[in-house]
Amino acid sequence: MPKSQYVDPGKVFLPGSIKFTDIPSCQYKKTLAQEKKIYTKDDFLRIYRDMRIIREFETMLNDIKVKSEYNGIKYNNPGPAHLSIGQEASAVGEAYCLDINDFTFGSHRSHGEILAKGLSSIHKLDETELYDIMKEFFGGDILKVVEGRQEKQGDVRDLAIDFLLYGALAEIFARTTGFNRGLGGSMHAFFIPFGIFPNNAIVGGAAPVALGAALYKRANHKKGIVVANSGDGATGRGPVLEALNMASMRQITELWGMDGKYSDGGMPILFNVFNNFYGMGGQTQGETMGYDTPARLGAGFSASQLHAERVNGYDPLAVIDATTRKKELLLAGKGPALLEVATYRISGHSPSDSSTYRTPEEIEAWKEACPIAAYRKKMVEGGIASDEEFAAIEESIVRRMEKICKLSIDDELSPRMDLDKDPAMISSLMFSNNNVKSLEPDREPDVLMAKEENPRVKQLKTKARYAYDEKGAPIPKIKLFGVRDAIFESILDKFYEDPTTIAYGEDNRDWGGAFAVYRGLTEALPYHRFFNAPISESAIVGSAVGYAMAGGRAIVELMYADFIGCAGDEIFNQLSKWQSMSAGILKMPVVIRVSVGSKYGAQHSQDWTALTAHIPGLKVCFPSTPYDAKGLMNAALAGTDPVIFFESQRIYDKGEEFHKEGVPTEYYEVPFGEPDVKREGKDVTILTIGAVLYRAMDAAKILEEKYGISAEVIDTRSIVPFNYDKVLESVKKTGRVIIVGDAVDRNSVMRDMASNITEMAFDYLDAPPVVFGSRNWITPAFELEKYFFPQAEGIVDVISQKLMPIQGHVSTINESEIEHIERNKKGL
Amino acid sequence: MAQPVIMPRQGQSVESCIITAWNKKVGDTVAEGDILFSYETDKSSFDEPAQVSGTILAILANDGDVVPCLDTVCYIGEAGEDISALVNAAAPAQEEAPKAEEKPAAEATAPAAAPAVVATKAEGDIIRISPRAKNLALKTGVDMTKVVPSGPHGRIIERDINIALDAGFVANAAAVEAFLAGNPIITEQEEAPVAAAAVAAPLADDVLAYTEEPFTGIRKVIARQMHASLSEMAQLTLNASFDATAMMNFRATLKANGEALGLGKISLNDMVLYAVSRTLPNHPTLNANVVGDTFRYFKHANIGMAVDTERGLLVPTIFAAEKMSLAEISAAAKGAAGKARDGKLSPDEMSGGSFTVTNLGSMGVESFTPVINPPQTAILGVCSITYKLRADGTTYPAMGLSLTFDHRAVDGAPAARFLADLCKALENFGLLLAK
Repeated sequence: MPKSQYVDPGKVFLPGSIKFTDIPSCQYKKTLAQEKKIYTKDDFLRIYRDMRIIREFETMLNDIKVKSEYNGIKYNNPGPAHLSIGQEASAVGEAYCLDINDFTFGSHRSHGEILAKGLSSIHKLDETELYDIMKEFFGGDILKVVEGRQEKQGDVRDLAIDFLLYGALAEIFARTTGFNRGLGGSMHAFFIPFGIFPNNAIVGGAAPVALGAALYKRANHKKGIVVANSGDGATGRGPVLEALNMASMRQITELWGMDGKYSDGGMPILFNVFNNFYGMGGQTQGETMGYDTPARLGAGFSASQLHAERVNGYDPLAVIDATTRKKELLLAGKGPALLEVATYRISGHSPSDSSTYRTPEEIEAWKEACPIAAYRKKMVEGGIASDEEFAAIEESIVRRMEKICKLSIDDELSPRMDLDKDPAMISSLMFSNNNVKSLEPDREPDVLMAKEENPRVKQLKTKARYAYDEKGAPIPKIKLFGVRDAIFESILDKFYEDPTTIAYGEDNRDWGGAFAVYRGLTEALPYHRFFNAPISESAIVGSAVGYAMAGGRAIVELMYADFIGCAGDEIFNQLSKWQSMSAGILKMPVVIRVSVGSKYGAQHSQDWTALTAHIPGLKVCFPSTPYDAKGLMNAALAGTDPVIFFESQRIYDKGEEFHKEGVPTEYYEVPFGEPDVKREGKDVTILTIGAVLYRAMDAAKILEEKYGISAEVIDTRSIVPFNYDKVLESVKKTGRVIIVGDAVDRNSVMRDMASNITEMAFDYLDAPPVVFGSRNWITPAFELEKYFFPQAEGIVDVISQKLMPIQGHVSTINESEIEHIERNKKGL
Repeated sequence: MAQPVIMPRQGQSVESCIITAWNKKVGDTVAEGDILFSYETDKSSFDEPAQVSGTILAILANDGDVVPCLDTVCYIGEAGEDISALVNAAAPAQEEAPKAEEKPAAEATAPAAAPAVVATKAEGDIIRISPRAKNLALKTGVDMTKVVPSGPHGRIIERDINIALDAGFVANAAAVEAFLAGNPIITEQEEAPVAAAAVAAPLADDVLAYTEEPFTGIRKVIARQMHASLSEMAQLTLNASFDATAMMNFRATLKANGEALGLGKISLNDMVLYAVSRTLPNHPTLNANVVGDTFRYFKHANIGMAVDTERGLLVPTIFAAEKMSLAEISAAAKGAAGKARDGKLSPDEMSGGSFTVTNLGSMGVESFTPVINPPQTAILGVCSITYKLRADGTTYPAMGLSLTFDHRAVDGAPAARFLADLCKALENFGLLLAK
C-alpha cells in the first residue's frame, strides 16, 4: 500500500474497456535460405545431433523399462522413467539460445531438457573451464569413469558429452557416480555448473522455484535469465499461476527503480510451457482446461500479456527463433515472458501407459511428423549435409549410448551408496549445518540509510531489555524490548551484513508486517530487498527456495501458521528436500517466519509445529522470549539450512523475564537444538513448546506456593534438531514430566517427545510422561479459549491426575485415561 | 467549558500508549486539526490532532509517559477557565508501574508430598509400581509388597518408597541377602520355603527319617560370610579374664537406684560395649577394616553387636559409640536388638561396623573362638562369669573375654595389649565412667 499510488475514486469508475492484443501462434515463416545466414553447417548438424542424442537416451530407457534390455545390454531399472520421445526439437531449440549464466528449471519429464541444456553449455564453455568443472565436480568421481574412454581422444567437448550422459544416466540408475550421488533420480536430475537447475517430480513445483532464481538475479544485479519449463498440465496448478502473477507484479517496474536509484527492469524469467496436450491422460486442450491454448494465459497476468505466443515445437529452428526473441525482451528488462511450445509426446507418460486416452491414429500421425526425421529431410533436401553424414552422426550416437549404458550399470565403476559400510551417508546430507555470516561478503548491501538513523533503531534504544527494574518490579510492557523487537533487531543486522538477504511476504512493507515486527525496515531497505508479496503463499515460499538455490538468503513470512497449508508443497517437498536430493550441492538458507495466532478462531490460531517437524530436512524452532528469539534468529540467519521459525502472537510484546543481563545489543547465537531450563525444580519437570511457557511458569508458581511442589520448567526452544540431554537429566532428577504446548494433542510434537522420553528414561520414571496439549477440536472464539488451550490450572490438574496425586487439590478438568479412551473412540 | 482530550485506543488489544512528543504546551492556543502530541503503541506511531479550538489549560502526561487508553491527557478550553475541579476528578493519567505482586500471606505450605489418600492396594496379584519407585525399592531393599501406593491407579510411586524408608520399612530376607552380598539386585518376592518333603517312612523303621529345609536367605548369607571369614583370614583367639567386682557392684547400684532415672536396664554387656568404645580409639588396627591389602582405619568406634534372632544371627551397628554415654549405648543396643528381632533393620544399620562384640556369657560359655565379621580385623567374645581364687584365698568374679583377631592385619602383641587395656578399663569401671 504505497502512499505514492493513489487509488482515485474519480478514475476507478470511468467507463472504458480493457484492451488485448493478438497472441501470435506458429507464425515462424523463415526459409532455409534465410536461416543459412544465421547458422553454420556445424550449427545445423549440432542441432540434429542434440535431438538425436535425446531420442536415443529416451529410447534406451524405454527399452530397458519395457524389455529389460537395450541393444543386447540387459538391465532392470525399477525407478521411474517419464520419457519425452517426440519433444526433442522443443528442448534443443530452447537450450540452443541459452548461455551458461542462464538457468533452466524443469518438470518430472525433463531428461530431454537436461541433456539439451547440458549439450548447449558444453558447446559454449571454454575448454579449460569445461574440463575444470568436470575435474572439480565431486572430486572428479564422475570424470574418472568416463575419462580415457571417449572416442575422440583429446577432445574435451566429446569427453564432456560422455560426462553429461553418464552423470545423468548414473543418477537415474541411483549410482553414487550420478550427478547427485543417486539421491535425486530421474525426476530430479540436474547439474548446476551447466546452468541446469533442479527438475521437479511435483507437477508445477518448479515454477515458483524458478521465479525465486530470477528474483535472485534481479535483486542482486546478476547476469542471465531463468527459464521455468513446465508441461501444459502444470498450468492448472496454483503455484504456477501464483508464480506467473508474482513475476508480473507491477511494483517491479513501477516502484523497484525508486526514481532512478535502482534498476526498474522486469523479472528476467521465461515461463516456457511445453504443450504436449496431455497431463498424464487428461487432455488440456479439449478436456481439463478452458484456455484452448496455454499461450492465452499471458493475457491474464499483465498488460504486456507476457509477450505470449505459441510456437511450433516440432521445428527446432522455430523454437530457437522464438526463444531468442523472448530472451532479448528479458535482457532488455521487459520480462516476464510466456512461450508455449506446441509439441507431442509419442512415448507414453511412463512405460506402463497403454494410451487408453488417445487413438492409435493420433499417435501414428505424430510419429509421421517426427521432428528429427523432418529436420534431417529438410537439411538433406536443402543441401546442408548428405544423408550419409546424418547416418554417421546417428551411428556414433548409438555407439556412445551403448558405452554409457554399460558404464552406468557396472556395479564396480558405478556403485550404489553402501549404507552398510557408511551408514551415516544419507544422514550427513540432511542438513548442511554451515555458519556463514554473509553469502557475498565482498559486496556492499543496498540500503537506504545508516542503521543508526533508523527510527525503529532509535526507538529501541529507549526500551528496557530486561523486564524488571533494579527493585525487581515489572516494567510496563510498552517500555519493554519485546519478542517482536528482538526478531527485528536480528533481521535488520543481517540486512546490513549480507547483501543477498531479502525479505518479503504479505503486507511486509509500509505496514511493517501484520504484527509490526518489520516496522522500520521500510525506511531501511529498497524494494528489491524488501517488498509486499501478493497473497500467494506457494509463490512466496517456492520463490524463497529458488532464491536460496541460486545463492541468496531469503526470509519470508506467512502471516499465520495456518497458511502453511497454502504453501504445503513448497515447504514439505521443495524447501525440505533439495539439500539432500542434491547430495549437498545445493544449500537452503531460508527462514520462514510463521506466526501462531491468538483470539482469531479456528483458521487463525493453530500451532502446526508437528506438520513441519514431521518432514525430514527442515529445522524447526519456537522461541518464546526476546533473548531466545534474537539468538535463534541469528543462528537461523547464519545457517544454510531451511528453518521454520514459529512465533506466537500472544507474546510479541513480552519483555525478557529470564535472562537477567537482558537481551544483548551485540550479536550472539542461541544454538539450534538446545532446550533451556527456565526454572529449576526437583519434583516434576514441565517441558514447554512455545508461548505456553508463561502458563507453565504460572503453574509452577501454584505448585510451589499452594502445594510445596517444586517444578522444573524447560523451554524446548528448538524442535528439530533437539538435544534430549537436558530433559533427560531433569527427568532423571524429578522422575516426572509433563509436556505442554498449544498444538492439538493428537500426533503432536509433544506426543513424539513423550514417546522418546519414555524410551530414553524409562527406568527413572515415576509415571509415564504426560502430554497436555489443546483439545482435538477447532479453536473456538477467544472467550472460550481456556477450554481449548492448556492453562496453568489445567497443568496442575493433569499433574495431580496422572503424575502424583496432590493432596487437597481439586481438579477442574478431566484428563483421566478413561476420558482419553472415550475421546479417542470418538476421534476427539 | 473545557474539553478533555483522551488517549485514543488504537485497536482492541492496545491497553496503553507512550506519548513520544508534545507539540503544544500549557497556555498555547490550538486550532481544530493542530497536532497536539505524537504517541505510539508497540506496533505503530500516530499523531493526535485537536478536535476543538481553544487554549491548552492543562497537560496531565509528559513525554515518555505511558498513558492508559481513554485516559485524559490534556484539557482545551477558554484561557483563564478554572478547571481544577475537572483535573482533580480525573484519575491521574500517569500509569503507575505495576507493583511487584505482593506475596500472599505465607499460607500453610505443608509439603504435599504426603500421599493424598490411603490408596487401595492394586487389585489382584499385580504390584503396580513405577520404574523409578521399583529401582529405589531394589536399591534400598524395601519390601514392595508392604508399601502403600499413592500414585494414580494404585500405583506405587517414588514418594511411597521414601515414606516406607522413613517409617522403617520391612526388609525382606532376599533383600538383605542381596545387599550383604554386595549385589543390590534382589528378587521381588521372598522365596517361599519349599514345603518340608515328607519322606515316606521305610516300613516299620524310621530311624533314617529326616526332613529337609533349604537355607533361608539369612542362613545362606551367614554361611557364606562365615566360611569366607575363616577361609580368607588368619584368625587366632586370645583368652583373658578380669575381676568383674567393680562392674557387678555398679550394676547392682543401677538396679537398686537407677530405675527412677531410667538406668535400671543397663546390662553387663552394655558396660562391656562402653569399655570397648573407650578402648578402641587407642588401638586403631583393631578398629579397622581390611579391604584387599589396605587398612581402613575408622574415625569412630562403630561397634557391631551380634544379636541372635529367629531368622539367624544379625549384627546391627552402634555408630560412633565412643561419643555415647553408657545410658545411650545401652538404649542403642536395646533398640538395635529389638529391631533385629522384629526384622526391621535396614541394610545401612547392619553395615559400616569397625569391630564386633558377641556375647555367649549368658549361656554359660566360658571361652570360645568367635569368627570375625569381614572385613573387620577383630571380634570380642564376652564369656560367662566364673569365680577365681586370689592369692589370699578369697574369690572374685572373673569375666572371660575371647578376642579373635586377623593376624594378617594385627600381630599378637598389639592384640594382647588391647585386651589388657580393655580388662583394666573394665576392672576400674568407676574410673572409666569418670573419664
